[in-house]
Amino acid sequence: MNVEITDLTRRFGRVRAVAGVSLQAGPGVLGLLGPNGAGKTTLLRTLATVISPSSGRIRLLGRDPGAHRQRREIRRRLGYVPQNLGYYPGFTVVEFVEYFALLKEMPPATVSRAVASTVERVGLGDKATAKLRTLSGGMLRRVAIAQGIVNEPELLLLDEPTAGLDPELRVEFRALLRELGQRATVVVSTHLVEDVGSACARVALMDRGRVVFHGTPAELSARAEGTNAAGDAPLERGYSAVLAESRS
Amino acid sequence: MTPARAPSRPPALRLIRMHLISRHVPAAVAVMLACGIALRIALHWRWNTYGALQLPLMIETACAVTVAMAAASPFGEPERAAGRWLPWLRLGVAVALTAIAAGALAAAGTGGAHLAGGAPAVLRNLAGLTGIGLLCAATLRGALAWTGPVAYMMIAVYALYTRWHGPAQSTPWIWPARPPHDLRAALCAALVFAAGAVVVTVRGARDPNDD
Repeated sequence: MNVEITDLTRRFGRVRAVAGVSLQAGPGVLGLLGPNGAGKTTLLRTLATVISPSSGRIRLLGRDPGAHRQRREIRRRLGYVPQNLGYYPGFTVVEFVEYFALLKEMPPATVSRAVASTVERVGLGDKATAKLRTLSGGMLRRVAIAQGIVNEPELLLLDEPTAGLDPELRVEFRALLRELGQRATVVVSTHLVEDVGSACARVALMDRGRVVFHGTPAELSARAEGTNAAGDAPLERGYSAVLAESRS
Repeated sequence: MTPARAPSRPPALRLIRMHLISRHVPAAVAVMLACGIALRIALHWRWNTYGALQLPLMIETACAVTVAMAAASPFGEPERAAGRWLPWLRLGVAVALTAIAAGALAAAGTGGAHLAGGAPAVLRNLAGLTGIGLLCAATLRGALAWTGPVAYMMIAVYALYTRWHGPAQSTPWIWPARPPHDLRAALCAALVFAAGAVVVTVRGARDPNDD
């Protein structure tokens, strides 16, 4: 298992953003669903080694992120795309992706080729030398994804990656997700159940800091059977049914 | 498709270059050189005792704020989650910019210009103020790094005033109000600089998304 979380809790003052989450994930795409404030982003930030847990245990890629040396090893193999990534507007697309490739200690001989192929992979080959300040919001989102995947991460964490992408790009991105999930563990936090239905092998549904469902998209859809759960698609109805059940 | 430009420098140098650019280091160096020139010009004028002490302190504060604000990262969390070089890059930027500022201000006081306290006072005041700025960057955020040095400068200006209008504020923690060769004041300033440098090295400037 590349992600092993046991009874993880993260507090911000008196607020428990993540409350006793246990979860395991191997290679493949895991969708993290949930309403606003469910704790998805906090869980992803914890997995990204950006914040440390208040209690509980995490092992990522077989290593303990609490130990300095092991955390370093994890970070070299990690890709992280947060909801809001900052940019230095004077960088070109290539410079931005290369900066992260170098920070992630990729072998120097491979950096140039990896950067060029990653920029192509996210569909920005014709914008490789464009300054970031000249790009649209959707293009910047793709640049953010490029920095996350440039090192061929074994663990990729994506927070609302399709926000700001047009439908065509969203479809392309889901294909990219499926491809990445064949080699790596990909955890995607999203509000969009379509993303989960088409790209994720497994789903974890969070509410109020807890994981209230963990299974396949088909199992989530099946939870709506025999209920009056709201939603336009089976997954949406399953989502609503699980949330209603957990809150009752 | 536009082909990606082949890198012309070794990867380590490219990483350092991009880090410096992302932290606005060229602009920061320009500000420091401008501060040095401004101080040099100002020292040719006649100042009363207060002015001779307070003017360099204000320029030192401007330099310290510049160093501290350069600690802010435009990239946020993904940069913090990437590898082991970032802390060393942060430390390098803070120390190099402080050294450049100290050099620019000390040079302004050479060649017949009378800089109150001389180079030792400049170095002490600048280091201490920079340490305060770096601590503010780490605890508040880069954009608010100016608050600590400016507040401290106001306290120091008052302390300088009390040297002639007692009761004198004489704690070594207000180092600008102490004589340039006061060892305890120099140690306090050095301690604050070291604390700021360590905190910024380990944590970096606080990100707006931080809890």
